[in-house]
Amino acid sequence: MSNEKYYVPHGTYWPIIGSIGISTLFVGLANQMHDVSWGWPVMVLGFAIVAFMLFGWLGTVVNESIGGIYNKQVDRSFRWGMSWFIFSEVMFFAAFFGALLYARTLSVPWLGGSDNNVFTPELWEGFKATWPLLSTPGEVGQNGTMFSTNFKLVDTWGLPALNTALLLSSGVTITYAHHALRSGHRNALVAWMIATIALGVLFLGFQITEYGHAYHDGLKLTSGIYGSTFYLLTGFHGFHVTVGVIMLTVILYRIQKGHFNSENHFAFEGVAWYWHFVDVVWLGLFIFVYWL
Amino acid sequence: MNFVVIAIIILIFFSLGSAVIGMLRGGKEGSNKMFKALRARISLSVFLFLFLMFASFMGWIEPNNILPT
Repeated sequence: MSNEKYYVPHGTYWPIIGSIGISTLFVGLANQMHDVSWGWPVMVLGFAIVAFMLFGWLGTVVNESIGGIYNKQVDRSFRWGMSWFIFSEVMFFAAFFGALLYARTLSVPWLGGSDNNVFTPELWEGFKATWPLLSTPGEVGQNGTMFSTNFKLVDTWGLPALNTALLLSSGVTITYAHHALRSGHRNALVAWMIATIALGVLFLGFQITEYGHAYHDGLKLTSGIYGSTFYLLTGFHGFHVTVGVIMLTVILYRIQKGHFNSENHFAFEGVAWYWHFVDVVWLGLFIFVYWL
Repeated sequence: MNFVVIAIIILIFFSLGSAVIGMLRGGKEGSNKMFKALRARISLSVFLFLFLMFASFMGWIEPNNILPT
C-alpha cells in the first residue's frame, strides 16, 4: 500500500444504513408528536438503527486504523475533522451564552425602561427589570397579576458548587490519564480513566437531582427568559456530558484492547479535548448563571 | 473583582485554543503542546474555583441568587 495515496473505502453499506435509520427516526418523531400510536416504537427503531450504524461504521474505522491502512494524510484529515467539530461546538455554546448576555444586559433592561425606552414601564405597570428576572411581563401569574413569578432560585453553594468541584476533579483525573498514556503507565491510565468516567456519571446524577429540586421549587422551562436560558444552557451541557461519558467509555475499552501507545493516540486526544471543553462550559455556566 | 474572574476565563479559553492548535499540528511536538495547554487549562480552572470560594468567604463577591429588593 502506497503511503502517499489517500485511503478510500470501497463498497461500504454504512451510509445507506445511516440514511434509513435517520429517516425512520424522524418519521417516528413526527408521528409521535401528532399522537399517532405507532410513532413512538418507530422512533425507537430508528434510534436503534442509527446506534447500530454508528457502532458498525466507527468500528470499521477503528479496525482500519489499527490495521495500518491509514497514512499521514488520513491522520491529518482526522485532526482537521475534529477541529471543525470543535469549532461548531464553540459556536453552539456561544449562541446560548450570547442569548443569556443579550437578555441580561439589553432586552430585560429595555423592558424596564432603560436607554430610550422610557414608556415601556407604562405598558407593563409594576414591571421590575431585575436579573434573575422574577416577573415576566405579558403572562397572567398565579396571583392574578400580569406577571408570572413564584419560583425559588437554586442555591449557589449547594449542588451547583458540588457539581463544579466534581467536574473540575474529572478534568484533573483526565489530565493524569493523559500524562500516564504519554509516559506508558498503562495501569495508572486505566485507573484515571475509570475515575474520570465515575466523576462524570456522578455529575449527571447530581444534575438530575438539581433539576428535580428546581422544578419542585417552580423553576421551569416556561418560567420566563431566566427559566428558558437556565434549562437550555444546563440541559445541552448535560447532554454533552452524557456524550462525553460514552466517548470516554469507548476510549477506556480501546485502551484495554491496546489500541494506543505513548506516541500514537489521536482518538484519546480528541476525547480529552472534548472533556476539557465540556468542563470549561460548565465553569462558564457556574460563573455566569450563579455568580456574575 | 469581576474583572479578575473574566481575565482568568479568557486565559482558560486561550489555553483550550492553544491545545486545539497542538492537536491539529500532530506529531511529538504538537502532542507536547496540547498536553501542556490542557494542563494549564485545568490548573487555571481549579484556581478560579478556589478563588471564587475565597472571594465569597471574604465578602468580595456575592452569588447571583440573592433576591433583588
